Amino acid sequence: MSSAGVAEHSHADSTEFTGQPLGKIGVWWFLASEIMVFGGLIGSYILSRIAAGGWAAERAHVNTTIAIINTIVLVTSSFTVVKAHAAAEADDRSKARQFMLYTVILGCMFLCFKGYEYSREIEHGLTPASGLFWSFYYTMTGLHGLHVLVGIIINFSLFIAAGGAAWPHIKHRFEYAGLYWHFVDVVWIFLFPLLYLA
Amino acid sequence: MSATKPSVGYHTIWVWLMILLAIGVALLAAPVSKTVAVILIFSVASVKAFLVLRHYMHVRHQPLMVYVMLAVPLLLAIALAIVLMPDIAFR
Amino acid sequence: MQAAAEPLHGHGHGEELSWWRKYVFSVDHKMIGKQYMSLSLFMMLIGGLTALLIRWELAWPETPVPGFGWVPEPTMFEGVVPPEFYNALITMHGTIMVFFVAMPFLLGAFGNFLIPLMVGAPDMAFPRLNMMSFWTIFTASLVLLAGFFVPGGAAAAGWTGYAPLSADPQYTGVNWGINLWLIALAMEFASFLMGGVNFMTTAINMRAPGLSLMRLPLLVWTQVTAAVLFLLSVGPLVGGAIMLLFDRTIGTSFFLPARGGDALLWQHLFWFFGHPEVYVVMLPGFGIILEIFPVFTRKPIFGYKAIVYSIIATGILSFLVWAHHMFVSGIDPRLATPFSVTTILISVPFAIMVFSMVASFRGGAISYPTPMLFAVGALGTFLIGGVTGIFLGSATVDIFLHGTYFVVAHFHYTLFPSVLFGGLAGVYFWFPKMFGRMMNETLGKIHFWITFFSFNCVFIPLFFAGVAGNMRRVYNPVQYDFLKHLAGIHQFATYAAIVLLAGQIPFIINFFWSLFAGKRATDNPWKANTLEWATSSPPPHGNFEKVPTVYRDPYEYSLPGATEDYLPQYAPTPAARGV
Repeated sequence: MSSAGVAEHSHADSTEFTGQPLGKIGVWWFLASEIMVFGGLIGSYILSRIAAGGWAAERAHVNTTIAIINTIVLVTSSFTVVKAHAAAEADDRSKARQFMLYTVILGCMFLCFKGYEYSREIEHGLTPASGLFWSFYYTMTGLHGLHVLVGIIINFSLFIAAGGAAWPHIKHRFEYAGLYWHFVDVVWIFLFPLLYLA
Repeated sequence: MSATKPSVGYHTIWVWLMILLAIGVALLAAPVSKTVAVILIFSVASVKAFLVLRHYMHVRHQPLMVYVMLAVPLLLAIALAIVLMPDIAFR
Repeated sequence: MQAAAEPLHGHGHGEELSWWRKYVFSVDHKMIGKQYMSLSLFMMLIGGLTALLIRWELAWPETPVPGFGWVPEPTMFEGVVPPEFYNALITMHGTIMVFFVAMPFLLGAFGNFLIPLMVGAPDMAFPRLNMMSFWTIFTASLVLLAGFFVPGGAAAAGWTGYAPLSADPQYTGVNWGINLWLIALAMEFASFLMGGVNFMTTAINMRAPGLSLMRLPLLVWTQVTAAVLFLLSVGPLVGGAIMLLFDRTIGTSFFLPARGGDALLWQHLFWFFGHPEVYVVMLPGFGIILEIFPVFTRKPIFGYKAIVYSIIATGILSFLVWAHHMFVSGIDPRLATPFSVTTILISVPFAIMVFSMVASFRGGAISYPTPMLFAVGALGTFLIGGVTGIFLGSATVDIFLHGTYFVVAHFHYTLFPSVLFGGLAGVYFWFPKMFGRMMNETLGKIHFWITFFSFNCVFIPLFFAGVAGNMRRVYNPVQYDFLKHLAGIHQFATYAAIVLLAGQIPFIINFFWSLFAGKRATDNPWKANTLEWATSSPPPHGNFEKVPTVYRDPYEYSLPGATEDYLPQYAPTPAARGV
């Protein structure tokens, strides 16, 4: 059984006791840790909300319309990223890059709408210091937004790198980037009803 | 590696996700009690998450290890929230 | 780039790299392990200095500490520790020792260095991520220590940072100190998450042929379990740290009752992580001594499978006990009994491990070079720590003992054995593999006896101080009438602490002298069985000339009928060699 301890330190084909590539296992471990991060925050929110009696008055001031648009944007970007992954598996470089670019654009749209939403709220005097509900709102959506930003950077870097000579070595990373992006989407799928609907 | 020819098309899943989004929003105005509405809305969200996990993240094609890696933190986070209920939610 | 005739491993990559790529920005797990060791030993010095100042203040309150007159006001006043700085000292001592000594020393140094070697891999799964993890904690250390130099001084709300004291700068008078503390902790968490992904992926996926899970050295089991515990427990505290930072800086209300928040939530989030964290520190310490015992008793460890299941059980149970830190915090009283029960329960797998280790000695051909002395010392002192934990685990007893020096003595009797006795045992044992040289035995034995004796002299008296009512985190306890009689105990403990610190000098001398002038080490100076001894000391880049094959369990010592008293995992079966 060969082990590639050579120049690139790339272990893509190193001894795989489980038959799974290292990068994939690594990404799933990382997502497991992220579940705990958001889980702790969301759990704290739910419990605090019960203690506070529901926060109906505060929640009347959130912008559900923008949130719905953002949900459509993010879910669609999940669709485009999985298309990018499928194209990468089929070795269709241009299609993979195309769909990855769509994902990046949609991600940027999400952040723009979110930024606009924040600015409207701050204009109305609703800041993180406006009470416990708003503390949670800004922290949870802010942390999520930070994850979206990191995802955009990763996706864009992949888009750029895939245009060069490294394509054969990095096309499997479209799957890993996609897994992270889907996770960010799933977190939003829960944040949306928690903050805007129920 | 993972499925390249999914059994259900990615487009189809996207349509379902949009439909579920519409249902979730519509439940806001539904003539049901608040508690029922909350339960239904979260059920809808769970179904959406399940669809993304199963069909976009291809979890069903991953080894058992991945299921464990996802299930354990999820259950742990839920357990934490439950244990904290007497102290934080029902002070 | 690579010559066609290069062997698969040990391909001389080292000669091609610049000094920066080889020693500073290295992606080689062995170099990264040594970097973690250097960082943790340096931080241990700083942590030790904070301890010295704390102990001086407790023994001779409000008197100048010799040699510290240069510290400017308002930190110290001509060598005297004021109450504000005392709070910073105890906070920084705890934070430095747990997060910037214990974890980088046990996990960062030994985990990084040993896991790829013990599983027969050329490096970790993600070498560049590994490098990033080290530089993250390096930066985090700078951020943390910067707290000493900012206005308001270093973090001073305890290493546990309880709200609301920590949540509003007005309450402590410390502004940037605690903000930097939170940022440093968040970076440290990120660093170990990165490292943990490496540990787990490497141990799962990069094992040599024949290395099934039940043939893994126990050190790998403990390191991987520790990494999993950390990964699963730190998440809520990452959220909590962000929440606390926001409370302090942008006016959120999470933990401030005055603004509608809940201070108890912080404690829950902290200890949900904090308790598994102590097992993250304990398990690798145990892993080290579990490797050392078979080698110096020349017989297999007793109850390998029982120990593995105990490690896993300890890990699982560690998530179910955290509120025993909060028995007197105002938690719902109905939570007290369940958490007492789980806390007592967790002593069971720990006891199984201890009894197995003790049983491993029976009938062995035991020798006591320095690594073995430290390993046995770790076992004995840890026993005291574990037993005293049972007192604290009972909610009713804890009402009297919580927040006293009994707790302080208890956790020093669990942390110190793991980090210092276990970690030092590891240094003496694997120094030959890391640096290709043997350490000096005489200096090592002197180091052990001074450390062991003085450590016990510092902390045994503190159990009694605690039972007598001496509260923790109190500047000058003997100002209170009911504690005046403890002055003698505190002075005795401080003398012992000074000896303890001075007793590390033989180690420092030994370490550096041996680096340059120690006897050259062979591949397998201890005649041990695990895979790291299959390659040269130190191993080449890529670790193994060719991937080893594993034929048997890791502790096959003194097999009846064998020609030698050890049979390495990587040696083909004697019959196959035609013996």
